[in-house]
Amino acid sequence: MIPPIAVAKAVAYADSLALMAAGITLIYMCTKTFNFAHASFVTWGFYIAFTLTSLYGGSPYYYLPVAFIFVGLLGVVVYVLVIGPLMRRGASPTTLMMSTLGVDLVLLSFIQMFTDYLTRVFKLYARKIVLEVYDFDVFGLPGVTFISLVVVVFIISALHIFLVRTKFGTAMRATIENPNLASVLGINPDVVYLTSWFLGGGLAGLAGAIASITITGDPTVGSRIVVSMFASSIVGGLYSIYGSVLGGLLIGLTEYLGIMVLAIQLGGWVAVYRPVIPLIALATTLLVYPKGLGGINWSRITVRFKSLVGGS
Amino acid sequence: MELIPPVILYILVDFSIYLIVTLSLNLEVGYAGLPQFGRVLAVLTGALVAGAIPGRLLALMYGLPYGPEYAFYEYNYKVVDTLNTILEKNPLLSVTIFIFTLVLAMVLGAVIGYLTSKPAIRLREAYLGITLLAMGDVLMLITYYYTPIIGGTTGVSVVDPFRWTGGARFYVATFTLLGIALLTFLLIERLTKSPYGRVLRAMRDSELAITVYGRDIVKLRTYTLMVGAAIASLGGALYTFYTGSCIASTYTRVTWTFWPWAFMMLGGTGNNLGVMFGVLVFVIVKTLIVMYRGLLAPYVPFDPVWLEYTFVGMAIVLIAIFRPQGLIPEKPIFTIPRKKIEELIKA
Repeated sequence: MIPPIAVAKAVAYADSLALMAAGITLIYMCTKTFNFAHASFVTWGFYIAFTLTSLYGGSPYYYLPVAFIFVGLLGVVVYVLVIGPLMRRGASPTTLMMSTLGVDLVLLSFIQMFTDYLTRVFKLYARKIVLEVYDFDVFGLPGVTFISLVVVVFIISALHIFLVRTKFGTAMRATIENPNLASVLGINPDVVYLTSWFLGGGLAGLAGAIASITITGDPTVGSRIVVSMFASSIVGGLYSIYGSVLGGLLIGLTEYLGIMVLAIQLGGWVAVYRPVIPLIALATTLLVYPKGLGGINWSRITVRFKSLVGGS
Repeated sequence: MELIPPVILYILVDFSIYLIVTLSLNLEVGYAGLPQFGRVLAVLTGALVAGAIPGRLLALMYGLPYGPEYAFYEYNYKVVDTLNTILEKNPLLSVTIFIFTLVLAMVLGAVIGYLTSKPAIRLREAYLGITLLAMGDVLMLITYYYTPIIGGTTGVSVVDPFRWTGGARFYVATFTLLGIALLTFLLIERLTKSPYGRVLRAMRDSELAITVYGRDIVKLRTYTLMVGAAIASLGGALYTFYTGSCIASTYTRVTWTFWPWAFMMLGGTGNNLGVMFGVLVFVIVKTLIVMYRGLLAPYVPFDPVWLEYTFVGMAIVLIAIFRPQGLIPEKPIFTIPRKKIEELIKA
């Protein structure tokens, strides 16, 4: 039987994965860029939570907004310096993806240097990070489960209100649908793209900071879970933020709990093959239903379901 | 006896291996326009073949353990040691096993290429890139933890087919590698100048047009992925033979996918000569960083080893922005003028 604490941890992990996938999807929808630098973005969020908690004390939760803003600004820098110029020249999606891989390598090397710096100057051992000790308990379960759920619900509602109710959100959706038409109506696509990179980066930083409270980290933590992030985003359909959140929750829970069930059934040796699960989910989605969860026409399904129920 | 300084040999080995791998990448990316983000998959396949098969074959021949226990580290080094003493006295056997393994690596590489082509036919651009990348990661992960093939986390020693050359081992090995790399270069240069190469470029530039002219895109893509993977697999097998050991954790997506991409982009995507030049420049700069990072160490508060990553990453970004065609851009192919063709037909 799976202990409740494992379920709680799985939920926290799935929540952070959902936020990462939402960021990837937002950036992809607006700028058609598969952002590989998301791996390093997440790791930066992770290290901001760790560094500030270690140096200034307090709970890691205080530093969630800092992680959001810092990594969001990092996203803005990446857009202004790399993606913007490439997009204006009409670079192909493959070139855009490759350039984010380059950005990822640079950011990764900066994290590695920063880690060395923390060790040498502040005498912090930063190559194996566990912030779980700073967490609080709620009825014997880790607090991060509840906090991360609240954050996911809050972020989804805020994004929904932002995209549907505000003028800028409407402009953003218009740009996603048709950038040329939107710019004819006086919307500056550049500002929209910039915002998407700020929000996408910010979500990655936030997700990294949340993940730091539940999983053990080192400078490569982002690139280890980057396949899970992309799997979540693709299972979600890449054209819907809600779909990507659902995808993240689905992948996170299946990965965490699925491997646990398999380990109980088959033995502990199976645990190291955990990253195979998101790959299977990714391949299945692409081969069976490439539109993903976000592409499912829910209203049609409910209508059909109602007629079925009504007919019987 | 030191005819050539070791650093030159080191550069030549790196150059040869990366030339083979990057040329195969260029065939798929530069000519066929496929987003090959999983180059490591085929390279690892070659390494697996070289790490697991020749030693086992020899062990079978000489009545040594060849089953899963071959890969366990308590047995492995003893078995490989015994086999190496046998190979030392038997140049013919050494050369045979070397060539046999390379051929097998290419065949299995082609099989892996065929398997990756299954999703490649249906997926486009970035989706395909992600899928290939994930496949490479997963094969690395499985072979790193699954011990019976190449010993998992402990790795295996590999039989040394150059042992019989005695003291000249490193020279012979290096120049064999270089020779095979240059041969691959000539082969790919021929291949890309052939009608097949021209069809690939046409497919890259307009799939619609090439379909109109009656070419089967699915077949072309499958064939290209198979050829590319076979050549990359050859590179992996050669590298394993050279280093004399094989462990899956060497084959990360950074060193065997992103680096070749950076080399290719610097030299000139779609130009084999440019790729050769790009590989040479990068390998020399990388070696210089490795050699001189010790001098920098006292002045910076971090390990200068990370500068290598900064350098490769910056190179990728800067080339993409400022010189997307690379140092030596792709040139248009000049076909024979019509008059000449008519003359040829008459003659």
